[in-house]
Amino acid sequence: MRRSICFCLTTLGLLALGASVLAETDKEVAARAVALELAGAFSNDGFKLRDGHWAGTLAPNESKVIAVNLYAGNEYWFSAGATESAKKLAIDVFDESGAPVSTQMFNSGTKSAAGFAVTNSGQYFVRVQLTEGESAGVCFVYSYR
Amino acid sequence: MFMRNLAGVTLVLMSGGVAFAAPSPVASPSASASSPNLSAEQTAQAIKTDSVTIPTPGELFSALAKATKADWAGGYRGPIAMNYKTRPQIALNLGGLIADGFIAVQAQDAQQVKNIGGDITKMAKALGVSENILARGNSISQFAESDEWSALQEELEATQNEVKASMQSHRDQDLVILVSLGGWIRGTEVVSGLVAKNYDAKLGQILRQPELLRFIRSKIAQISPELQNDPLVKSVNGQLQEIEQIVAKPFGQSLSAAEVTKMNESVTKLMQEIQKKN
Repeated sequence: MRRSICFCLTTLGLLALGASVLAETDKEVAARAVALELAGAFSNDGFKLRDGHWAGTLAPNESKVIAVNLYAGNEYWFSAGATESAKKLAIDVFDESGAPVSTQMFNSGTKSAAGFAVTNSGQYFVRVQLTEGESAGVCFVYSYR
Repeated sequence: MFMRNLAGVTLVLMSGGVAFAAPSPVASPSASASSPNLSAEQTAQAIKTDSVTIPTPGELFSALAKATKADWAGGYRGPIAMNYKTRPQIALNLGGLIADGFIAVQAQDAQQVKNIGGDITKMAKALGVSENILARGNSISQFAESDEWSALQEELEATQNEVKASMQSHRDQDLVILVSLGGWIRGTEVVSGLVAKNYDAKLGQILRQPELLRFIRSKIAQISPELQNDPLVKSVNGQLQEIEQIVAKPFGQSLSAAEVTKMNESVTKLMQEIQKKN
């Protein structure tokens, strides 16, 4: 119960921070709520949610590639959320050379996630793509354990 | 295997081969493997930010904790000064203190976490950001008292980001990368020390992060010339270049025992310089 309260407080705090300090648009703040809702499910399974995030607006079929540095031995879930004008989001992960990485995938309308266990430390790239729907606010977060 | 429903999302926790949570009902175990490679242009233009591209010390410690039974309390250090004169030195040490908090969380040492939480608040006060993190300091104490270690990891990162957000709002954004860097150096000092003592190739793999160091150095190159010429920042940046050469192993290769030892000596020397009171 207390953990749930903590998560909610953290989420609210992050949203407040996002709105006040980082001057995100309303769409981006709304997308962040969707991404955090999805990532919260992983938190319940022992994944620790990173406080950092990327948020922006994607046009139909547009994608953004985000660089992350991951450690061998850890498991990661990358979560993205979008505002309602999006119909489908996709997340793909690539290694340091740009080669695709095999991941567990989850897609459900405005939510998408990809997860894998890292065997080689280094830089990885996460591509977030708006594959169906209209231009939308999109947010990316990740969790590890 | 068990299932859970949360916010309309059904999750299936797998046991065995892929030992982590996999969402269902539309989970696909290897869908992304069929994607074409990213082009060199796409990787070069990838978004890199302090808050997403730089991992927390907690991520590094988590990786080590899975590979070996580490003596986290053995990584504690004695008290450091709370009255450094320059803002770059305060920022670097603040990052180091936050890493100390993650170490204490790994050791599940509530009193140490509370002590470090107090030190973080004190040092942040020297940068004029204590008002923003006072509440975080209280949360850290409360979570420590109730042994909520997972929540503490998130709270420590949130505290770090609170400090960085305050720096940005006070036009001190150049100090942000120094907080991250201080945390990376202190975390790497402890992990490389533990890996050096218990070396095997799997542990040596954890410390391979050349692109991370390149990114940190690229951020330092973007700060004001005045700050770049601060004697401590200049010295630290020069030594980072040497460390980057140690960890520049091809993807998939581990650092050797000798390289881990060399790395540990380098980051230990760096940390001593950072925490030295002039």
